[in-house]
Amino acid sequence: MKPLVVCEQVAYHYRDGTPALHRLDLTVEPGEFVILAGASGSGKSTLCRLLNGLIPHLHGGHLTGRILVDGQDTLHTPPYVLSRQVGLVLQNPEAQSLATTVARDLALGPACQGQERASIAARIRDIAAMLAIEPLLDRQPGALSGGELQRVAIAGVLALNPHLLALDEPFAFLDAAGATQLRDTLRLLHQRGVTIIVAEHRLGEVADLATRLIVLHEGRVVADGAPRDVLAHDILQWGLEAPPLVRLARAAGIDAVPLTLDEAMEVLPLNSDLQHPLPTLDDVSSASPVIAWENVSFSYGSRTVLSQASLSGASRNIVGLLGANGSGKTTLLRLGNGLLRPQRGTVRLQGEPIGKRPLWDIARSAGLVVQHPRRMLFAPTVQEELDAGPRAIGRYDRAWIDHVIEQCGLEPFLNRSPHQLSAGEQRRVAIGAMLASRPSALLLDEPTAGQDATSRRMLHSLITSIARDGMAVIIATHDTEWAYTLCSRWAVLGSGMIIAEDAPPAICAQAETMARAHLRVPAIEALRYMPGRTIAHLADARVI
Amino acid sequence: MILTTDLARLTLITCALIVLLIGLKRGRRWLDVMRVLLPTLVLFMLVAGWSGGYEAAFGAALRLIALAGAGVAFFSTTPPEELGDALLASGAPSQAAFLLEGALRFTPMMGQLAREVYEAQASRGFRFDRRNLLHNGPLLLTPLLISVMRFADDLAEGLETRGFGSPQRTPLAEYRLSWRDWTLMGATVLFAQLILW
Repeated sequence: MKPLVVCEQVAYHYRDGTPALHRLDLTVEPGEFVILAGASGSGKSTLCRLLNGLIPHLHGGHLTGRILVDGQDTLHTPPYVLSRQVGLVLQNPEAQSLATTVARDLALGPACQGQERASIAARIRDIAAMLAIEPLLDRQPGALSGGELQRVAIAGVLALNPHLLALDEPFAFLDAAGATQLRDTLRLLHQRGVTIIVAEHRLGEVADLATRLIVLHEGRVVADGAPRDVLAHDILQWGLEAPPLVRLARAAGIDAVPLTLDEAMEVLPLNSDLQHPLPTLDDVSSASPVIAWENVSFSYGSRTVLSQASLSGASRNIVGLLGANGSGKTTLLRLGNGLLRPQRGTVRLQGEPIGKRPLWDIARSAGLVVQHPRRMLFAPTVQEELDAGPRAIGRYDRAWIDHVIEQCGLEPFLNRSPHQLSAGEQRRVAIGAMLASRPSALLLDEPTAGQDATSRRMLHSLITSIARDGMAVIIATHDTEWAYTLCSRWAVLGSGMIIAEDAPPAICAQAETMARAHLRVPAIEALRYMPGRTIAHLADARVI
Repeated sequence: MILTTDLARLTLITCALIVLLIGLKRGRRWLDVMRVLLPTLVLFMLVAGWSGGYEAAFGAALRLIALAGAGVAFFSTTPPEELGDALLASGAPSQAAFLLEGALRFTPMMGQLAREVYEAQASRGFRFDRRNLLHNGPLLLTPLLISVMRFADDLAEGLETRGFGSPQRTPLAEYRLSWRDWTLMGATVLFAQLILW
């Protein structure tokens, strides 16, 4: 069979001269399901953009070597011709839905190919049926959830009937329900003969579906083979984290590489020592809370988001606020620092109701780090970014800011522009900028969204050290694997209320709560509650 | 001729438009627009009246009312995306057609971006009330500009992945002139003749 993608000695430098890929050789056969793994900046996004000609036709830069897709040289084929061979789904699905309704959006690709109106309509019907998005066809893209929007984006490029579907970090912003649906979609497309390339660093999401795992590191292919073989290596050296089950097996001293729960059940003997670190901070919820939401309700127009939700956070406490996308986590955080005021109920900071306190005054007590750091970074240098907030609220303390710089590991970038930093570095600058004002409560909105393994680890230890400084930390997240070992307490949002609040292992034991909030059970807890294994077995076996 | 100041003609045009709007069931929409325009209308009349007397004042008012009426009649009966399709069908470049639909699709998103930037900065204790807006303006503008430019880059990629660079483009709707269109065009020409000459 003729290979679908051939890369020969491909080297690429961005327009500003930064090298991205070094003499890459790669062949992808039709029908493969490839994971293109690598940390941020490894070159995986660049490779995706090379496949459909966005590089160099849109982005410029210096490209040498040769890339053939379906026999066509991408250097001499414009992107609109390549779009018939390669469907590329980008990280921001919002920028890939381009029309006022979903149906019109799906029609755009075929219309640009000059297809007949009747065949365009037929193609849209087929694609919509395959991806189960018929109910969305007449809706406006702006009104869709992140997961829905992404399925529409996939449908949009599939409408051109490409042989190859490439996705750039598709799991970055999905919750557990969205991720499961995406897995099903990818499995289905692969069965139908579409070749799939997923650029991703969350290997646990797709490792069991893929036929091949390629690891990119600093622009080079450092590993290439069946996922099980590659994962047997130490991939941490390339800034990647093995799937949770593989890490558990390794910690138990077992050589096998389990990719699914069933496999893990087989290889992990019942009495094996499953080691998993637990949070080192005590839950001190009995202490007087720094921040408290008391029976707060909030609606946007007729849409009720929160009704009678109560939560509190005390000093040195890390509370995980968990829930599906759209469950009201962000709204609760925005009520916490006064961006929104509850329609019913009270928010208290250090015991005092915030009432009509102005935002700039609340900023001394509660700091909110929003999900996208790019929305707040404005200064020419990181140092100025850190100084601006404390100056604005009259709480500038040189010694404290120096402590924050050290804590967040920002020394190397102090004189650089925050806009030139990587996603992980920008996240730490954003957190540092809030910390610099020394609030007593820190509220974080989805801090691990779009972050790679190295960055997630750094955030884990950063947040632990922030709590040790005496702050109350509340984290809205759906990253349960990460929050399991970080938080002393989990509060689960569902139907506008806190439906459960307890230590993470206790929450995981409530299967119904986890399912209702679309939360993924962390690997160790999932194993614990597999049928056939009694809780006592593992409770004894676990080394804490 | 188009800029006629003859009050009788202007009144006739305005009345005809109002009849048309009521016929199209867009009378309420027009009233809403006029309510928003009222201060402008009064100002317009005052300025015109100051320099040209009563007649100029009423002429100016009628002209604005007629213009608003025509605008409402057109845009409330023609969705921009259909206008884009029609332009495409009549041979306009696809970029021009996309401009209309894209504006409609992405304007609310830009508003959302602006709100996110404001909220992020207000959370840091920056003040954007009247006294501080000028001084703190760059705190809003810089992140907004960078977010918008980033989005524009993503959008360019999004368009390319769908083959937008292609010279071809099938209009999504077919437009044929029916007897009703011809009748309307005939009536319009006749009416213009009557009024203007």
